[in-house]
Amino acid sequence: MIDRDTIASAMYEAMRLAATQLPPDVEAALEAALDTESDPLARRHLQVSLENARAAQDGEGLVCADTGFPLFFIAAGARTEVAGGFGALHDAAAEATARATADAYLRPTMVDPLTRVNPGDNVGPGMPRVLLRFEGEGAGLEIVAAPKGGGSEIFGTFYRMMYPSDGEAGILTFVLDAIRDGCYAGKICPPAIVGVGIGGTADLCMELAKEAAVLRPIGQPNSDANVAALERKLFDAARSLGIGAMGAAGTSAVMAVNVETAVTHTAALPVAVNAQCLVGRRWRALISADGQVRFTGDPT
Amino acid sequence: MNDTIRDLTLPLSEEDARGLQLGETVTVSGLVFTGRSLLHIRAIEQGIVPPIDFSAINCFFHVGPVMRETAAGWEVVSIEPTSSIRFERYSPALVRTLGLRTLIGKTTMGPGTAEALREVGGVHLSKIGVCGNLLRRQVKRVVEVHFLEELGKTEATWVYEVERFGPFFVDIDAHGRNYFAELDDLSRERLAAVRRELGVPEDFAYTEVNP
Repeated sequence: MIDRDTIASAMYEAMRLAATQLPPDVEAALEAALDTESDPLARRHLQVSLENARAAQDGEGLVCADTGFPLFFIAAGARTEVAGGFGALHDAAAEATARATADAYLRPTMVDPLTRVNPGDNVGPGMPRVLLRFEGEGAGLEIVAAPKGGGSEIFGTFYRMMYPSDGEAGILTFVLDAIRDGCYAGKICPPAIVGVGIGGTADLCMELAKEAAVLRPIGQPNSDANVAALERKLFDAARSLGIGAMGAAGTSAVMAVNVETAVTHTAALPVAVNAQCLVGRRWRALISADGQVRFTGDPT
Repeated sequence: MNDTIRDLTLPLSEEDARGLQLGETVTVSGLVFTGRSLLHIRAIEQGIVPPIDFSAINCFFHVGPVMRETAAGWEVVSIEPTSSIRFERYSPALVRTLGLRTLIGKTTMGPGTAEALREVGGVHLSKIGVCGNLLRRQVKRVVEVHFLEELGKTEATWVYEVERFGPFFVDIDAHGRNYFAELDDLSRERLAAVRRELGVPEDFAYTEVNP
């Protein structure tokens, strides 16, 4: 049985770490982008971003001041028990988010969409977002805290319901247009991790794209060879658009293109794109059944 | 790091603004004020502007800073320039009304702002990289804050005294040129070539269900 306070403090700590540390795979991908980028301004963008992140790691500020939307992706096992029931996850997430905001690890950024009133704690209807899925036979909880920046979410979200006859030409057209549009003037803060969802319902399609962008480790291709080949094709094409880091000239527009699929209606070909920005914030808390908590920036 | 970069004194003179080259890297020293969407909307729709002397405090920094209140007063945690293009609806009017010669933000703005800057003799400076912690080091003093109660910490107008603040690059100059607009033409051509290589038919169009 895992108690609520353990979950709330693990969520707080994961959010604090996400806001102040680059995940190791993201840092390595930025270093790799710097190794291959030749445009001087794009190189400066990458160098400054790495230096800025190191300052945050050393206790000065945040990896990016736009801490964006507070998201928690939670995986529970078949035998996981939470004191007070799974509804406690929402309370714990709200408490962790408000506390991280009060301690200035999160900027107060969530507002009412119509009145634009800012409650100051990033908590309100729908936020923080808690996405719970069940997988495996375990009894623990895996929580990924992801403060998702405005640039990538606001300028890097695209959806289109296509039809079977649009085929791969349609998918390539849609995704490459989305990447060019999002990378223009650095709107999504490239080098981006581009998540692509294909199939499902409209909401599932978008969720696949978001999880592909936020959760998938960089450098890990889709396990399906056909999908992995599509990822490679899109990745190489994105690097040939003449766009580099932060929208400068260059080649470093993307760190990864990750595609996830779901079965869909025989009449439909829904495609979604969701981008993650160059700081790729996510940190993981692993809670065992007896309440032991371990934090890691390494992807699973 | 900034010692060798050309430093501009704020408020920027028209002569200095007109002399800046597109793509040039600079820092600024003097007083800046902050704001984002709500400042623009309120200023133009309702005529509510922060009670500051815009002839002296003339550099508009597009940012929602992360601020922390301590016993010694307000301190900056991190200040990441935000996407300026979001303000394009109101920005040309604001530049003209307040006579703004320096905008600092993240990357591009539209033709309306470029035209307004050309008229008043001003520039837009873009951030380089994700840089909010490095910029924080160059804020010498939090001078004052306006509308904090009404708008909250993120949208309030903060006035900072900065020294060798940057570096930034000139992405819109005082002659109407825009670095990103010029780059966009190139990526459009590249995209067409990439599509051909991938075998996407030249005349591909999405299936139209409302013919």
